[in-house]
Amino acid sequence: MTAERFLSAACGALAAAWLLAASPACAQASEQAVKTAFLPKFARYIELAPAAQPAAGQPYYLCILGRDPFGQQLDRAAASEVIDGHAVAVRRFADASPAAVGGCHIAFVAGANDQATVAMLLTLRRQPTLTVTDARIGKAHGMIHFVLADGRVRFEIDNAGAAKRGVTISSRLLALAVQVKQ
Amino acid sequence: MKRVAIRSFRWFRNLPAVAAAGLVALVVLGAATAIILQSEASYRAQKSEEAQVQAGILAASLVAPLDFGDSAAAQEAAEAMRVNRQLRGVSIYDPSGKRIAGFRRDGQKPIPTLAEARTFVSPGIVAEAPVMRGRQQIGMVRLGIDRQPLDTRFGRYAVIALLVLMAALLVVVLGVAQAMLRRANRELAERAAALGEANAELTHQIAERAKAEEQLRQAQKMQALGQLTGGIAHDFNNLLTVIQGSADMLRRPTLNEDRRQRFAEAIVEASARAAGLTSQLLAFARRQPLQPEVIDVNAMIAGMIDLLDRTLGERFAIHTDLSGEVCMVEADRAQLASAVLNIAVNARDAMPDGGTLKIATQLVHDDTGSLVAICVTDNGTGMDAETIARAMEPFFTTKAAGKGTGLGLSQVYGFTTQSGGDLRIDSTPGEGTTVHILLPCSTALPAPEAEATQTETRAARIGAVLMVEDNEEVGEFAEALLRELGHAVTRARSGAEALVAAAERPFDVVLTDVVMPGMSGIELADQLHILQPTLPVVLTTGYSDEIARSGAGGRPVLLKPYRLETLAKVLDDALAGVAARDG
Repeated sequence: MTAERFLSAACGALAAAWLLAASPACAQASEQAVKTAFLPKFARYIELAPAAQPAAGQPYYLCILGRDPFGQQLDRAAASEVIDGHAVAVRRFADASPAAVGGCHIAFVAGANDQATVAMLLTLRRQPTLTVTDARIGKAHGMIHFVLADGRVRFEIDNAGAAKRGVTISSRLLALAVQVKQ
Repeated sequence: MKRVAIRSFRWFRNLPAVAAAGLVALVVLGAATAIILQSEASYRAQKSEEAQVQAGILAASLVAPLDFGDSAAAQEAAEAMRVNRQLRGVSIYDPSGKRIAGFRRDGQKPIPTLAEARTFVSPGIVAEAPVMRGRQQIGMVRLGIDRQPLDTRFGRYAVIALLVLMAALLVVVLGVAQAMLRRANRELAERAAALGEANAELTHQIAERAKAEEQLRQAQKMQALGQLTGGIAHDFNNLLTVIQGSADMLRRPTLNEDRRQRFAEAIVEASARAAGLTSQLLAFARRQPLQPEVIDVNAMIAGMIDLLDRTLGERFAIHTDLSGEVCMVEADRAQLASAVLNIAVNARDAMPDGGTLKIATQLVHDDTGSLVAICVTDNGTGMDAETIARAMEPFFTTKAAGKGTGLGLSQVYGFTTQSGGDLRIDSTPGEGTTVHILLPCSTALPAPEAEATQTETRAARIGAVLMVEDNEEVGEFAEALLRELGHAVTRARSGAEALVAAAERPFDVVLTDVVMPGMSGIELADQLHILQPTLPVVLTTGYSDEIARSGAGGRPVLLKPYRLETLAKVLDDALAGVAARDG
């Protein structure tokens, strides 16, 4: 088992490369590329309150708040996802003005510093939005927090916080998390 | 050879039952095989479906791990399947068909691609399920399930097989049993037939045996008759020799008076003994009418001492032990005396070297009344139980041939039972014998003893006698006697002749024989009684069934052979009766 895990860890890069190969636009098997591939997929494993769900024919909105570490590759990854007939659309905002972020279903939050990130997260707490943060960017935690474990991109999940906001995270996703806060 | 042929034929007859049983057994076995095969197929289908379901479940749980490229999570999901012991191995492939996770329970190296894995023919059950993310296939799950190990399956089917085998065996056994039963039935029928034959044979043999026994009985009867005739002839010849010789001597004219008298006496004596012999025979046959009279037994025994002394001889002492009580019996005097004499003679023969004869009388009281017992005891050789048992059998004798007729005790027994009494014998070999004559007591007074001897016999009364006798010699003899007595005699040779004679002229008395052709003496007497009620009739006979059966009807009976004085007395009494009636 441990040997298996070691093997897996050793081949982590290869696995990531395969994932990116599944998305023809992502040619690099970098840490950033993995995160780029992951982000649109989260939409599949969450369930929002009925009022917050996208209307028929409307996409899930994946909002990048603050800095954008992904670039165009994220748009390509999002374009390959179709969830129950809903596409995934990427929106980028410099800050979290309530009027702007009201339609976000998933929000990657990366402020200039931790305070800025927390401030944006606080704004998003008023609405059912799955918030995602990155440990490489700061210490502020969203509902899903990217971390690097054994050289692989993994994530922590704050299931309790998500539940408070009306975001139900699939147990399948919870099973993949390195840590789940209940 | 024939038997073998029959055997094989029987076997052939048994064949259908055995064949049918075998056929049924085969059908049962075939059905069982079909059931097992069907069960196996259904088991396979069930296992296949089960494997498919498990693959589906695993595929569903692998959506996220494959989606996020988390091979570790995929491996964990695969490892979770290990709890199913029948699972031989699990492989998880990415969309390109490359194995990214899984396990093999046999520990061999996993096959790296799905395409290669599909080229192997797996011995177990294989199921594949795609991992679908929405409508997009993002991987493949392939798992193999071991079929149940052979021994487990065998164990499962062994029960069925055993049951079926037993059922088949049962059918075969039943078939064989049926065949055997049929055979047993046939044998039974054959045996019954044989038994019937044996029974018929046995019945036939029994009939044969009964016939043989009947013949044997007849032979014994003839033998007994021969013995009897021999014995009688012997005794009679002796007596006839004396009579014939004496009569021849009497014919000689030179004979002096003294010797003539002696020869006449010899004839009388021999005749008396011959008469006694015939009397004995008749008593034995119980056909002689008894002439019972009241007898004082003590007085009679006392009177017989002299006779016994002479009969037994000098070497024997006679003791009497007579009862003080009065012992009266009602019996034929001559027969009783003869019985005592007979027993005394037996006692003498039992004591060849002499001895003591004891005669005792006593009164015995038992539930049937009082009996007088005359006990004659000797101290001779005695008898064993077997001899006692046969002692009263007619013709049974322990004496040498010609020495005895074997009638003695038999005659005594006949006499005592006819007189309402009994005869008992007590004896111990080497110590002696006691013979008990038991006769019922009588309360009547004894008759005065008749005058035993009459030197000159003359009729007290004389009358006209009608004498009826079919036998010429006896008739002539009787006629001569009657004339000698002074009677006027008319002779008739039959009943009819007598009736004619009686009608022609009056008679004072009729003396008629009983046994005659045509009308018997008794019938004649009855006829005469109707015609002349007052005419006395005296019957005379040597022996008569009719008299023994029905009696003489109150008429006097003169037994043949009779003596002159007896004839005179009977006729006197008859004439005296007429005289008394007349007045």
